[in-house]
Amino acid sequence: MSAAPVVAVQEVSLSIAPETYTAISGPSGCGKSTLLHLLGCVDTPTSGELFFDGHEVGSLGDRERSLIRLTRIGFVFQRFFLLPMLTARENVELPQGEAGARRAERRERTAELLDYVGLTSRAEHRPSQLSGGEMQRVAIARALANRPRLLLADEPTGELDETTGKQIADLLDRVHADGTAIVVVTHNTALAGRASQQLEMRDGRVRRRVGGAS
Amino acid sequence: MTSFGFAWRSLTRQPARALLGVTGVSVVGALLFDMLLLSGGLAVSFRDLLDGLGFDVRVTANQWVPSRGPLIGDGAGVLAKLRGLREVQDVTLLRFGQAEVVLDDDPDFSANFMGIRGRARKSWTVIEGQDLPEQDDPSIPSILVNRSLADKARLSAGDLLRLRGTCEPGAAAMPTTDFRVAGIVAFRFEAAGHHDSVTGLDAFLRACEPRDPDAATLFLVASHAEAGPAATVRAIRQALPDLHAYTNQQFVDRMQVTDFSYFRQISFALSTITLFFAFLLIATLLTVSVNQRLGEVAALRALGFRRRRIIADLLWESALFVGAGGLVALPLGGLIAGRLDAILREMPGIPAGLHFFVFQPRVVAEYTVLLAVTGVLAAAYPIYLAARLPITATLRREVVS
Repeated sequence: MSAAPVVAVQEVSLSIAPETYTAISGPSGCGKSTLLHLLGCVDTPTSGELFFDGHEVGSLGDRERSLIRLTRIGFVFQRFFLLPMLTARENVELPQGEAGARRAERRERTAELLDYVGLTSRAEHRPSQLSGGEMQRVAIARALANRPRLLLADEPTGELDETTGKQIADLLDRVHADGTAIVVVTHNTALAGRASQQLEMRDGRVRRRVGGAS
Repeated sequence: MTSFGFAWRSLTRQPARALLGVTGVSVVGALLFDMLLLSGGLAVSFRDLLDGLGFDVRVTANQWVPSRGPLIGDGAGVLAKLRGLREVQDVTLLRFGQAEVVLDDDPDFSANFMGIRGRARKSWTVIEGQDLPEQDDPSIPSILVNRSLADKARLSAGDLLRLRGTCEPGAAAMPTTDFRVAGIVAFRFEAAGHHDSVTGLDAFLRACEPRDPDAATLFLVASHAEAGPAATVRAIRQALPDLHAYTNQQFVDRMQVTDFSYFRQISFALSTITLFFAFLLIATLLTVSVNQRLGEVAALRALGFRRRRIIADLLWESALFVGAGGLVALPLGGLIAGRLDAILREMPGIPAGLHFFVFQPRVVAEYTVLLAVTGVLAAAYPIYLAARLPITATLRREVVS
């Protein structure tokens, strides 16, 4: 007997404009992360349309969607997912190498990003030698490595204490202020309150929308 | 970071796992290497032994190994016919038998006894004394003995050796015959611990008095260089259609399907088993590794890393396991092969110059290809797991867990 299909997200019409800051909140299982992964071109909708920079994402193959994710979207995860065998510097360099950046260019950009997140002195430390807040800052630096236009963060403060969570929220504010659109999925009301557009989801639908253009 | 560098870091991230994996591949690889050495080693070594005698064609009464088949009648006639062939440069007649060596302290001591007519070429090497003389003293003929027989009978060159030929089963007891030991020799086909001797054919016949004194066990033929062994065999078969003539290679080929086939089958079976174990070992290590890193793989995919990159990383990881383990396996396999070879060569009747495990560059190439293919196949399932990973579901599962 197979399980009945679950409709994770439905009847959502949403536009993420450049340089906006959107927060998505709602109870567990309401479809927040699924919506985030749709926006990040990780998943494609089973029905409806999703456009990224004018391209219909559903018509793109894995290769094209991977390229979009690599070069135009940055991801920050709740569990950081830094590669434990690499140093902070190498973790930040990794997506740049995948995108074809030259060594000197990678080094320069990585140094710039580690300085940006305040971790220059921790560049040669491995994730196991960093605190949770430091790991998340490295993860944000990694997400910004290829100068994405959109940064997606899934519960970026979920594993952190209040003070550290606030530091990460401040950092995201800075990223947004520097011109990157942000979509953050969070239970943290303080973090959600910083967004210019707040969406509250329930049962796969957007139930409430505060701020924003559409 | 390249896929190679990434794989290297993944491997060294868990040194204990890497060490266990490489050790496992080394041991399995060493066994595989040994089985490949064994699969063709006997044939190569046997061919070397045959070629080393200085004869390239053998003539026997039937297709069996000379000492096991019937005798060739009219030895003198066959010898003359062979010598008359223009392809033939040299012919030697051999007759095999046994002899009871008269010793005060061991009345039942027997030795292999051989009669020869013609040049021995490189059938033996004199290590003490002299070779058989061209013209022998019929009253006390010369004999050559191997070191084992000389030690047992406490003989030196120039000593007298008394023996009684027992060349045919059921024959009446022969009177003893005295021989003078011309020299102590190492026979090319001498088996460890065997007592061997050779004398001229006339002296052999006098000591044995066989029912058919004109018979021969075997003819060894050296071809003219311009004719070659294959043409010589064709000429002999035409001139002597009742006899069996074959080149050294044909003899080796026949041994491959008879006496050596056991070793080839054992080698094949054990090679297959070792490859299967190598496959299981690498597949398990990589699968466990991938399962431990599902979240990381999903995150990399979400960050835009293509499937091809994930596949390359895993293939390199497999290659590192196989490469490092496979390299260590070569000297290890060499050591094991040396020990096994020594054990097998102690089997009765095995010529001391015959080796079971023989190094050939071809074996290294086969070994490399087999391990490489195994590494790729073993990586297939973990690659499938990683490449087909549902990114969203995996990230969610990692967070929930």
